[in-house]
Amino acid sequence: MADPKVVIEFVDVYKIYQVGDSEVRALDGVSFQVRQGEFASIVGPSGSGKSTTMQIMGCLDLATYGTYYLDGKPVSNYGEDELADIRNRKIGFVFQNFNLIGKMTLEENVELPLIYAGVGREERAPRVRQALERVDLWGRHQHTPLEVSGGQQQRCAIARALVTEPELILGDEPTGNLDSHTSAEILALFAELNREGKTIVLITHDDHIAAQTHRRIRIMDGKVAADEELDADRHPEPSTRHPELDSGAHPEKIAGGARNDEGAKLRKSGKAVA
Amino acid sequence: MFLQSLKMAWKAILSNKLRSLLTMLGIIIGVVALVVLVSLVSSATSSVQNDINSIGRDMMSVNIESTDASTALDSSDLDQIAALDGVGAVAPVKNVSGSAKEGTESYNVSAVGTTNAYFGIEGYGLAHGRYLLKADQDNNSYVVVLSNNAAAAIYGRTDVVGETFVFDETHYTVVGVLAAQDTTGAMSSMYTVYIPYSIAERVSNASSSSGSGFGGSASSSSSSASGITSFYVSAASSDQIDVAKSSLDAWLLNHFGSSEDYYISDSSAIADTMASVTNTFALLLGGIAAISLLVGGIGIMNIMLVSVTERTREIGIRKAIGARRRSILLQFLIEALVVCLIGCAIGLVLSGLIIIVVDLVSGSLTYGLSLPVMLIAVLFSLVIGIIFGVYPARKAARLEPIEALRYE
Repeated sequence: MADPKVVIEFVDVYKIYQVGDSEVRALDGVSFQVRQGEFASIVGPSGSGKSTTMQIMGCLDLATYGTYYLDGKPVSNYGEDELADIRNRKIGFVFQNFNLIGKMTLEENVELPLIYAGVGREERAPRVRQALERVDLWGRHQHTPLEVSGGQQQRCAIARALVTEPELILGDEPTGNLDSHTSAEILALFAELNREGKTIVLITHDDHIAAQTHRRIRIMDGKVAADEELDADRHPEPSTRHPELDSGAHPEKIAGGARNDEGAKLRKSGKAVA
Repeated sequence: MFLQSLKMAWKAILSNKLRSLLTMLGIIIGVVALVVLVSLVSSATSSVQNDINSIGRDMMSVNIESTDASTALDSSDLDQIAALDGVGAVAPVKNVSGSAKEGTESYNVSAVGTTNAYFGIEGYGLAHGRYLLKADQDNNSYVVVLSNNAAAAIYGRTDVVGETFVFDETHYTVVGVLAAQDTTGAMSSMYTVYIPYSIAERVSNASSSSGSGFGGSASSSSSSASGITSFYVSAASSDQIDVAKSSLDAWLLNHFGSSEDYYISDSSAIADTMASVTNTFALLLGGIAAISLLVGGIGIMNIMLVSVTERTREIGIRKAIGARRRSILLQFLIEALVVCLIGCAIGLVLSGLIIIVVDLVSGSLTYGLSLPVMLIAVLFSLVIGIIFGVYPARKAARLEPIEALRYE
């Protein structure tokens, strides 16, 4: 593989919350890279720090220490407005609970990022339509989110993420609130978008989902526990080999198990993707 | 961006109509109070001002403050004053109040003791009979001229010349009834009648020496002073008023030796006093109304804060998809402003309707909306919208996106 440019680079990122007198290290020195065109997943049980990773990656939050380079530029140098513009133009978010605005129609929801991008009215309409057609929702665009199914809401959210044509799509448990059939549909859509050249990072606690991406970064206790290339076509799903990984009940054990069992494939944090 | 914020604000207002209306209510009531009250007062002011001007700017009244008997004025002094430069006519005035009886009814009456010249100075016309004459004065005749409304109230008709008028147990003969006045100068509920000056003096002296014997007994307006204590002076013509005033002033100063012993007031002074009184009223009422607008503004801030909290998640979403702080700020600020301005518009329309109704009911006075007050109301609403909208809007704009997204 030729070396596409690095889109996301975490270098020793810490996120520390002060809770009373004690500090909680949500991220305890996380380093990894994601290159353009990758379809990666960040997995870990709840409390592992994967959501914090996602928030920092999405410029919704800033690291306490360490540097996050987005497109080669350290994000900590940006001001409030520049971060807003990055979220608007470079990153498309897809959330677990869809996060559509209930009072607006699907069309208006998709239009919103373009309004904040300062795109003129005449240009907005065709782009909104294109994005909704892309996710097969044109025809329901006059409905409000409450009038359509969860899968359709999530497709609308994807359309909203796509409409500003960002190169990076971040999904935070995008299938968490969907049944398995709809989940598969949404995942297929992500895979398709990835084939079209979008860089996609999904956050999930579900190894079934992670297994369908091309790379899995496992986060445990605020650290990168594993970082492996996956080939969904050739290998069976990792979760079938390591059923204990699905439970999330014993993080220490899983972390240890993952390190031992996956041996050669496992690469240590920071040195991911040569 | 601005237009988009306006659209969003409009949608937010429509999405919760009842709450928006209740929020506006404070502003509506404030605007109505401000506009209606101040408009009524300023209309009343201008109509009173017109009345005062129509009385005639060529009239002065003189009050003697001195109680020194040696300098007391008598009718020959008034004759001298009447001959002064620029002076037209002079009429002594003594006010006596008492009760008039007709049948079993009794009426509060204010009797003005004066002479023939008085009617010319005041410009009163006659409906029936005649004015007071010099002969009435000389003969000490118990005759009376009734004002039109007094005659109408007491006798139920105005052609009452020759009737007997009982005022404080004394019988007078009605010799004239004045033409109806269309002034609103009914400052008191008393009816006015006119009697010869000499009679008024007699009544006044009698009552001050006997004291107040029984209820409704006559009382003099100036108890201890002797001689003429009050008189009206008219100028020979309206452009002579200043000449008349200065020659009158010179004569009085010469006579009394001190400017503290007398006081000249002309109609412009009365008008000035009235204006300052009504201005004070307008300010007072306007101030009260402004406070109610302020309270309305606080209501808006309250609701906007609730709205920001309710829409925390929406704000988080907007921020996540790229809304800058300024966009969020603008959205909420404009929402507050739109609520204020719609409230203001409704308030202005209501004020207009109320004024029309008041006009129909009152009949005599014509009230109008005061344009400057409407402008002030609009400006005030804008300012209140901004002041009370900024804090919630800033609160919304400063929300951290992840905190906001996590909000349930």
